[in-house]
Amino acid sequence: MSVAELERVTKRYGAWPALDRVSLTVSKGEVVALLGPNGAGKSTAIGVLLGLRRPDSGCARIFGADPRRPDSRRSLGVTPQETAFPATLRVRELIELVRAHYERPLAAATVYERFELGRLVKRQLGGLSGGERRRVGVALAFIGDPGLVVLDEPTTGLDREARSAVWGAIRSHAAGGGAILLTTHYLEEADALAGRVILIEAGSIVTEGPTAQVKAQAGMTMVRFRAAPGTRVEGTIRDGHYLRLFTGDAGDAVARLVHAGVPLPGLEVRPLTLEEALATREHSG
Amino acid sequence: MRLAVLHARAMTLELARYPAYFVPTLVLPSVFFLFFATPGAHRDATVRMASFAGFAVIGVAFFQFGVGIAIDRGSPWETYLRTLPVGPMVRLGARLASASLFACAAAALLIATALAVTDASLPPPRWLELSAVLLVGTVPFAFLGIAIGYWAPAKGALPIANLLYLVLSYAGGLWIRPSGLPRFVGSVSHFLPTRALADALVATTIGAPLAWHAWVSLAGFALVFAWIAALGYRRDEGRRFS
Repeated sequence: MSVAELERVTKRYGAWPALDRVSLTVSKGEVVALLGPNGAGKSTAIGVLLGLRRPDSGCARIFGADPRRPDSRRSLGVTPQETAFPATLRVRELIELVRAHYERPLAAATVYERFELGRLVKRQLGGLSGGERRRVGVALAFIGDPGLVVLDEPTTGLDREARSAVWGAIRSHAAGGGAILLTTHYLEEADALAGRVILIEAGSIVTEGPTAQVKAQAGMTMVRFRAAPGTRVEGTIRDGHYLRLFTGDAGDAVARLVHAGVPLPGLEVRPLTLEEALATREHSG
Repeated sequence: MRLAVLHARAMTLELARYPAYFVPTLVLPSVFFLFFATPGAHRDATVRMASFAGFAVIGVAFFQFGVGIAIDRGSPWETYLRTLPVGPMVRLGARLASASLFACAAAALLIATALAVTDASLPPPRWLELSAVLLVGTVPFAFLGIAIGYWAPAKGALPIANLLYLVLSYAGGLWIRPSGLPRFVGSVSHFLPTRALADALVATTIGAPLAWHAWVSLAGFALVFAWIAALGYRRDEGRRFS
């Protein structure tokens, strides 16, 4: 069952097509990552999906209904953009205000615990650090225990610890059957969390599929080994202290290196990360 | 309804913790009263008190609606609130409730000041009438505030609201008797919403019959300002959410 859907959505700003016939769906229990460079149309797509923007053509649905109707947003959770809070409200007051909008919200204590807000509840929002505010923002998206959580860059500006708290929340929400749509700059984040990735560029979806499949599509394995500065081996590129190559057949590639008498200290052979897979796609395409 | 109350509470708390907002809004009218009204206190203290109460109440309309909306409408926080399962009317209703609270406080402070330092006095039933006139008479100014809020840019709203508020209050005769205004100002005065408010307040205070011309004028201004506010709202929605 689809909980969120864009159907052939086109959106222009002036003559500039921010989105060009974009269709996507998010199903129950799924974590989908929307990837793409700045200005690719991620935010516009999210804006249309949340009912904040009206598409020029096509339509958006959440839980099968128009997102512009308040009723259809009963089971939707969203993070505000950073620094967007009323500065003089306290964390507890904010959490309670947002909780009141949902039929079956999480207990406030659960929210404090899950997002490590316990020590902050009496503080005013204006006095929090950027990372603390970000945590509060992510918490707001989960408060209603919604069927769909939409996170725009949820871990930008977080330290490692806070980031793993957010990742944990995303995973346990998905494990409980909730769907998540997130945008991110960090490919490793999509790689770690998302079952499916959608890559959007210049307003169009260019790649879409299960994360594993997108990686496999690139069909490549990375082979890399340490090499002294200045050393050059045909078919490899330098990567810091390493030389590396992407290949469809790692065994053959290593055999050829050995055959050519290239020393291979610190040899690594592994499948590409999502980031590397997308990079090869860009280079080849 | 429950949500509107909660939003009103949050909004009120938010503002009540900004001394930079509430001190000037609440105290300024009383300070002006001390400057302008006390010298003539013995003669028409009660009338001055009533018209300054009008000055206090419409100030909240100008600032909480005008400046508040102009600043909030561009804020990511308001955008976030639109993703919650709640319609925009709840937020507007909350703003109205919160503004009413501040308006009451401003008026109460002014009346307390007037009763303390002048010999203003009203028979009990007139207090009720005065409150009713203040409540209804502020409606056009609330719409004017909303219009400013949706038309003025965030940074321009405060000076614009200030200018309109002070000029209209002076020229409408809320500070000094209209007969005491310079001749030119006095002649323009008849065409101002603040003059209509002043006339309605004075009529109530002295127990004169209902000032029909004032109420017709206030109703007319209410319609015009509501229309401008609605246009501004639609324009703003179209620009940000289309």
